[in-house]
Amino acid sequence: MKLLGLVEFITVMWLMILTATAFLIIFVAPIDSIVPKMTSNNDRWIISIIQASVTMAIIVILVLGLNKMKKVYLQKRIRL
Amino acid sequence: MINPYFWINLFVDGAIVSAISFFIVSYLLPKTIKSLTSKGDTVPDVHKPNRQYIPRPAGPTLLVGIVTAEIILYFLTLNTKVIAILFTTIIAFAIGFIDDKRVMPGWFKPVALVASAAPIIFFSAHGSHLNLIFGDAFIPLLYIPLVLVIIPVAGNTINSIDVLNGVASGFVAITMVPLLLSVAIFGSSEVFLSALPLFFGTIALYRYHKFPSKIFPGDSGTLLIGSMYGAIAIAGNSELIAVIALLPAVMNSFLFLASVKRIVEHRQVKSRPTLLMDDFRLMASKDKNAPITLLRLILAEGPLSEKDICREIFKLAVFSSFLSLISIVIQYSFLSGILPK
Repeated sequence: MKLLGLVEFITVMWLMILTATAFLIIFVAPIDSIVPKMTSNNDRWIISIIQASVTMAIIVILVLGLNKMKKVYLQKRIRL
Repeated sequence: MINPYFWINLFVDGAIVSAISFFIVSYLLPKTIKSLTSKGDTVPDVHKPNRQYIPRPAGPTLLVGIVTAEIILYFLTLNTKVIAILFTTIIAFAIGFIDDKRVMPGWFKPVALVASAAPIIFFSAHGSHLNLIFGDAFIPLLYIPLVLVIIPVAGNTINSIDVLNGVASGFVAITMVPLLLSVAIFGSSEVFLSALPLFFGTIALYRYHKFPSKIFPGDSGTLLIGSMYGAIAIAGNSELIAVIALLPAVMNSFLFLASVKRIVEHRQVKSRPTLLMDDFRLMASKDKNAPITLLRLILAEGPLSEKDICREIFKLAVFSSFLSLISIVIQYSFLSGILPK
């Protein structure tokens, strides 16, 4: 099948997205419930900044992973 | 309890806005083709014998159909999310129209499209909970920068896949199916209704855009389609479902940016990713400096005709839509409590 390689690539991208979202749900989203006493506006900003930083780090890891996958795929398919 | 009036209203309103969008675009496109051709607003179709000249852009016609349907929908529902989606679409169209008429630098579209995200924020069309397949996250502050990223990315993603006859319109028509389902489940009936004009308008456009194209959508058409797709995903709480449905196009943008390493227009790239053969089939470039694109990867297996490449891209769109549908099932299972969060 001509598209098998691309189908595999897209499937791995999908699995990476699912893994990243699972990590966000399990570890990042509950941060505000871990610190329930923080109720002021400043505290909400601090929690949001922490959540944003972790999310950005996950996105960077995701992009680096995709870049690595791209290189492996290209070596296999186009032999660049 | 099932309210029959709700479903009757939904069906009638849906039929009205779908028909308006579909028939206006279908009725006006042949006239637009004639008008653009007589004015000489045409561009060469570089993959055809004798480089036939094709009228461009179809964006204004698509906009008329969608805007008419959305305005009627607003008076039927009085929902501000409809207005937010409408204004986002109009601003994205205007940015694309400027790019259709003048050659703008590569940074122009992504930067200018940030402005088209403003109506979503101004009318508070976004939620405060982001659906993340296995649950949701409460991110009231993070949502605003997220909106400012999603709209330009969605617009440019659809714009960058508009490389062959019918690909952009056909691709979006296919990937609208999981988005519509997701908005119906996780969003609201009003946002679902506001997505129908895009779906039926795109189908109407595809009839004239498919191989061999009689008209090209232009940047005004593709940015309008992509930004509206993004706006619907945000207003319908379906951001990740939309990303998964668009994965082949996302992959195309990612591969292009990763290989070129800067934001540039395709026309600014010196080494082309594909080459046109004497028999008008396309083959992948062997040049190491040529950008990596979805098209180049498809052609890595061997040369194909333009029509065959379109078919292969649509197969990938069907596959990513299938993954998106699986994601909807998983998300529904977690959010409805069938599976524990």
